[in-house]
Amino acid sequence: MATLLTTEPMSESPGAPREIEVPAPTAWPFVLAFGFTLLAAGLVTTITVSVFGAVLALAGCIGWFREVFPHEHEEVVPVLPEDIRITTERSIVERLPIPAYRRAWLPVHTYPISAGVKGGWAGAVAMAILACAYGVLKAGSVWYPINLLAAVVYAESLKLGPAQLYSFHADTFAIALVLHGLVSTLVGVLYGAMLPMFARRPIVLGGLIGPVLWSGLLYTILGFLNPLLASHIDWPWFIASQVAFGIVAGIVVTKQSRKPTRENLPFLMRAGIEAPGIIPPRENGEDGQ
Amino acid sequence: MSSNAITIPGVQIDEKPWVDTLHEWVTTVDHKRLGVLYILYALLFLVVAGVEALIIRIQLMFPHNHFVSPQVFNRLFTMHGTTMVFFMGMPILFGFANYLVPLMIGARDMAFPRLNAFSFWLSAMGGFLLYFSLVGANGLYGAGNAPDAGWWAYAPLTARAFSPGHSTDYWTLALLVSGFGSIGTAINIIATILCMRCPGMKLNRMPLLAWLNLVMAGMVLLAVSPLTAAQFMLLIDRYLGGHFFDTQAGGSAMLWMHFFWIFGHPEVYVLIIPCFAFMSEIIPVFSRKPIFGYPVMVAATVCIGFVSMSVWAHHMFSVGMNSYANSFFTITTMAVGVPTGIKIFNWLGTMWGGKIQFKVPMLFCIAFLFQFLTAGLTGIMLGSAAFDSQLTLSYFVVAHFHYTLVGGVVFGVFAALYYWYPKITGRILNETLGKLHFWLFLIGFHLTFDLMHIPGLLGMPRRIYTYEPGRGWDTVNLLISVGGFIQAIAVVIFAANLVVSYFKGKKAGNDPWDAWTLEWATSSPPPAYNFASIPLVASRRPLWDLKHPEDQ
Repeated sequence: MATLLTTEPMSESPGAPREIEVPAPTAWPFVLAFGFTLLAAGLVTTITVSVFGAVLALAGCIGWFREVFPHEHEEVVPVLPEDIRITTERSIVERLPIPAYRRAWLPVHTYPISAGVKGGWAGAVAMAILACAYGVLKAGSVWYPINLLAAVVYAESLKLGPAQLYSFHADTFAIALVLHGLVSTLVGVLYGAMLPMFARRPIVLGGLIGPVLWSGLLYTILGFLNPLLASHIDWPWFIASQVAFGIVAGIVVTKQSRKPTRENLPFLMRAGIEAPGIIPPRENGEDGQ
Repeated sequence: MSSNAITIPGVQIDEKPWVDTLHEWVTTVDHKRLGVLYILYALLFLVVAGVEALIIRIQLMFPHNHFVSPQVFNRLFTMHGTTMVFFMGMPILFGFANYLVPLMIGARDMAFPRLNAFSFWLSAMGGFLLYFSLVGANGLYGAGNAPDAGWWAYAPLTARAFSPGHSTDYWTLALLVSGFGSIGTAINIIATILCMRCPGMKLNRMPLLAWLNLVMAGMVLLAVSPLTAAQFMLLIDRYLGGHFFDTQAGGSAMLWMHFFWIFGHPEVYVLIIPCFAFMSEIIPVFSRKPIFGYPVMVAATVCIGFVSMSVWAHHMFSVGMNSYANSFFTITTMAVGVPTGIKIFNWLGTMWGGKIQFKVPMLFCIAFLFQFLTAGLTGIMLGSAAFDSQLTLSYFVVAHFHYTLVGGVVFGVFAALYYWYPKITGRILNETLGKLHFWLFLIGFHLTFDLMHIPGLLGMPRRIYTYEPGRGWDTVNLLISVGGFIQAIAVVIFAANLVVSYFKGKKAGNDPWDAWTLEWATSSPPPAYNFASIPLVASRRPLWDLKHPEDQ
C-alpha cells in the first residue's frame, strides 16, 4: 500500500510560474555541423563539396550569432498541469541508534597514517634482513634476492644470466629498493587502517594469517608477475619473510597511540582553523568540540 | 511500484504531421531530445557494429573458412572497433549524460543548449561520414573502400604507400569531425554541472552520476584533444607531404602510438566511468540502501581519472620501450586497480544487508560487478610487462577488452536503459522480455568471452583471417561464434521490447522505482522545462526527504 505524502500538483504550488522561457529551437547548429562535415568530406571527394560546406558553415555561424545576439531567442512554454506523486511503498526505515546531532562514524578510534608508515618501514627492514640472510646463507650472495625482486617491474633483470644474478647491479638495486620501500609503506598504511577493525588478536590476524593468505595468492600468480622470481624462489624462506614483515609491522603499528577519527568534524576544523560557529551547538547549549 | 499512472487533466495532444515532428527533432536544443537522439543513434550503430562482429565470427567459426575475403575481414574488424568505440560507446553515454545530468541537478537545460545540438550533429555526421567510405572511397579510386588499418591505425599502415585511395582519410576525417563534437559535449557537461545546480545542491550533495560524468567530461577534454591533434598530423602527412609518422623520412611510428594510446586508454575510462555512475545510482535503489561511502566513491573516481592518464603505454610493452618506461607503466597500471577495487567494494557494501530487488536493471548491475571485476583482474595480468610480452596481440587481449567493454559498458548501458526508459518514455519495459534478454545475453556473453581467453593462451593471434586446423582452436572458436549469435538473439528481443513497451508498456508514473534522485520528481517523460519550480534540495537524496519527512 503506497503512502501518499503529497498530492499537490507542483504547478499549482505557490510561487510556481504559469509559463517558462526555454531556448528556442534552431536549425543553425545543424547547418553548421553539416557544413563543417562537408568541408572535411571535400578533401576526399571534390573541392565543390568543400566549397559548399564552407558556405553552409559560414551561414551556420551567422545564423547562430543572430540567434544569440543581441538577445538570446527563447520561446515561452506554458506550464502543464502535472500529477506528481512523491510516494513510497516502504514507510518502515531501519536506522542505527545514534545521537540526534550527528551520524555514526566508525571506527571511533584509529591509528594515524604515520603509524602505518612506521610499521611498514619496520616491517620492510625485518623482511629485508631475512631476505638478505637467505641470500647469504642459502645462495651465497646478498644481491641474489635483490636482483630477483626487481624483475617484478624491471625487464632488464629478466636478461641477467645465472652468474650475474649473484652480483651487484646499480639499476636493479635502485629499482628493488624503491619497489620494496613503496610496497612496504603502502602495506603498512593498510595495516594501520585495518588493525583497528580486528579488535581481538590483531597480530595473529594481521601478522600471521594475512601474510600466509597473501603468500598463497602469490604462489598462484607469481609465474605471471615475476617469472624470474618464480623460477628461483625458496618458498619456506619467502613465507618466513612475509610473516616477519606482518608481525613486525603489526607490533609497531599497535604500539602507536590511537586517535579519534575526525571525519565527523567539518573541513575547517580538520584544517586547524579555530573559529566560533563552525560546529552547531548541542542541545545543552555547549559548543561542539 | 509506488504509483501506477499519471493523469494530466485538461491536456489535449494534437496529432502533428510527421514533417513537423521531424523538424522539431532536427532543430531541437532540448537536452532531453538530444539525449534521446544520441541514444537512438548509438543503438543504430550498435546494430551495425554487431552485424560486423557476427560476420567476423562466422569467418572464424571454422578453420580454412572463406566466408569473406581477407581484405573484407580487415575492413570488418577496423569498422567494428571504430564504430563500437566512437559511434556507439561514447554517443550512448553522452546521451545519458545529456538526458540525466540537468534533471538530476535540478536544471532546466544544459549550460549551452545550441552547442549541445551542434556537438550531437557533429558526432552523428562523423559516423555517417565514416560509413560513406563504403561508397565514396571505392567509387573514386578503386583502391579499397572502408578503412582497413585497424582501429589503432598504426603507422606505417596509414601511410600513402600502404593505404592508397581514401579509406584511411575517411577514418581520419570521421574521427576528427566527431572528436570536435565530443569536445563540445564535454565542455557542456562540465559547465552544466559546475554552474547550473539548483539551490542547495552543493558539490557534496550532487548525485554520483553527476560527479562521475564531471570526471568523464574532464577526461574527454584531456584525451580527445591529443587524438584530434594526431589526426591533423596524419592529414598533413598524407596531403601536404609531412613526415610526422614516416619512419623513412625521419618521422616516428612510435609517435603515433603514443598519441593514439594517450587517447586510447583514458578512453576506456571515459566509457566505463559513466557505467560506474549507472551502478552508483541503480544499486542503492534496488538494494534499498544509500550508497556506501559516497565521499570515497567520489575520491576514487577522481583518482581513477588522474591515474588512468598515466597508463597509456602499457599498450606498447612489446614495441621496444626501455625498461624504465615499462617499469613505470606497469606500476601505474597496477595502481589504477586500487581505486577501482574500492568502488567494487563500495557497491558490494551497498548491497550488503540490503533488501535487494532482483529487477532487470539490478540483474544487469550484478552481472556487471562480477564481469568488470574479472576484466580488471585480466587487466592487471596484462599490465605486467613480463606477462604482456607473452600474450600481447593474442586473443587473450581481445577477450580481456571485450570483457571490459561488453561485460562492463554494454551491461551497464542495458541496466541504464531498463532503469531510465520509464522516465524517457513514460512506459516500463516488459519485465519478462527483459529477463529473457538478460539471461540469453549473459549466457551468450560468457560462452563467447570466457572461452575467448583460451585460444589466446594457446597462441592464437588477434586479427588473423583464418587458421590451420588441429591447433586446439577449432572447437573453441565454434563455441565462441555460437555465443555471439546467442547475444544477437538477446539483442533482437531487447529491440522488440523497446518497441512493444513504447506502445503497450505499463504506464510508469513519475517514480516507478521508488527512487531518491530529482529526475523522479517530475513527470515521465518530463516537460520541456523539466521542473515547474526549480527544486530546493537539502541532502543527497531529495526525494527521500519528501518521502520520509520524519527524518528531517
